[in-house]
Amino acid sequence: MISWEVLGAWLGAALVVWIYSFVYRDNVFYKFAEHLFVGVAAGYSISLALDSLNRVAIKPLSTNPAVSWHYVIAIILGLLMFMKYSKKYYWLARYGVGVNIAVGTALALRTTPMANIVRQITATILPLWTPDPVTTLNNWLLVLITLGGLTYFLFTIFPKKPEAGKPSLPYYVYRVLYTIGIYGMMVGFGALFANTIMTRVGFLISIYLQYLQPNAWASITAALLAAIAIIAGIVMGRSRK
Amino acid sequence: MSFLSKVEKVLSARELLYTLLLVAVIAPILSPIGLPIGISSRTRDVYNYIENNLKPGCHVYVEVYYEVAARGELEPALMALTKQFFDKGCKIVYGSLISTGPIVFSLMLAGAPDIFAGKEYGKDYVFLGYISGGESAAASLAKSIKGTVKVDNYGNPLETLPLMKEVDSATDFDLVVIVSSGTDTFNYYVRQWYTPYHTPLLFAALSVIAPSIEPFVGAKQAIGMIVGQRGAAEYELLVGRKGLGIASMDAQSISHLLIIVFIVLGNVVYWGMRVTSRGGGRK
Repeated sequence: MISWEVLGAWLGAALVVWIYSFVYRDNVFYKFAEHLFVGVAAGYSISLALDSLNRVAIKPLSTNPAVSWHYVIAIILGLLMFMKYSKKYYWLARYGVGVNIAVGTALALRTTPMANIVRQITATILPLWTPDPVTTLNNWLLVLITLGGLTYFLFTIFPKKPEAGKPSLPYYVYRVLYTIGIYGMMVGFGALFANTIMTRVGFLISIYLQYLQPNAWASITAALLAAIAIIAGIVMGRSRK
Repeated sequence: MSFLSKVEKVLSARELLYTLLLVAVIAPILSPIGLPIGISSRTRDVYNYIENNLKPGCHVYVEVYYEVAARGELEPALMALTKQFFDKGCKIVYGSLISTGPIVFSLMLAGAPDIFAGKEYGKDYVFLGYISGGESAAASLAKSIKGTVKVDNYGNPLETLPLMKEVDSATDFDLVVIVSSGTDTFNYYVRQWYTPYHTPLLFAALSVIAPSIEPFVGAKQAIGMIVGQRGAAEYELLVGRKGLGIASMDAQSISHLLIIVFIVLGNVVYWGMRVTSRGGGRK
């Protein structure tokens, strides 16, 4: 008898093959798997959001209204967002969105200057001569690449090369920092690319280890059938054309 | 058509790369090679910080912020950290600012019965569930957890849980761990937990977003970072629990080697064709 686990493995393996079939070309099985995923994810998110609303707002309000009465204001502001579906009262939705943006911005701005600007600047003010040569090299690299990166994004005032004669010293300094900025960013993009590969490969590995390996034979059978279905679909599509 | 042009045509067929990549991933899993895994100073520093600074009875808040797709990269780190916290006698409050939090938490719980064996829900650990609101919710939790949510993920009132009588705000926690597949989450916690309350932060991130949050570690706004599956494998070695991180390292190494080979070949062919074209044009 086929158990739920085996059925789940069949479905999982087929969906994995259908989703990854996009790397070959777009096809009906990929679209089916994609739409299924979007539908399930949307349904799940809505149910979770409603559950959260119930736990955070409705339940406290109904059990202890004397303490939680002010939650009514947030609930009304939230409900106002749905007014955008009304042609007559759509303007009311702006109040909900406006308050939401204002609160979010105020909370973020409260600490952003310190967390994202001041601390980042102070982290680049480093001793350029230390007893440890590796630390010294690291500090030089960090300071120069930071200055270079900032120089690269100078779009307004920067020394220009004179049309005739020898360029000035500020121009040379600017060009050196500009070049360091380019190479620094290239190294950064390279690291980002390598990490991207690691993440994508990690996703593929985990699909196999977490979902397919527990029912290996069922998964392999389903994967082969799903692959055959895709090939058949593509061949049939070509013959129709 | 010259030899280099033929090689270029073969290499530029994406089907070849994808097929070889698939083989490079699956073959080492089916037949493990057992390539050695070195432990980086970054991962060791995180391990040592927890060993040296967290005392029995300490409190840790863990943000579980990832989707099911990111389980393979982040769950091994979460499991290894949870094991270390429990081994140290710490108590853990889990929360999630993403709607997939409850499902990935339940999968983590089901996948690590050995870690949670003997641990009592409500006393040793609590899961607050999904809390909507993004950064506003993070700020509210830092100020007062009980003021933000009244019940946990399973509907239990927080005042009935013994652990929640011990902690309420950011200052009550000895460490906050953010296990996240999104860059914004780290910003939320740096801005709303570290900057106003100076609660130590630890990051466990997807490899792809590690460079984006590196400045926070460099500026000492976080005590350290465990990066992707590689960092998780190292941590599994340190805590002595083999899991998916270690199991996936052979496949990671072989697939990266394949990508390196393709990059080198691609560059050799590119420069070869460029040199050839200078000396008489492409054929």
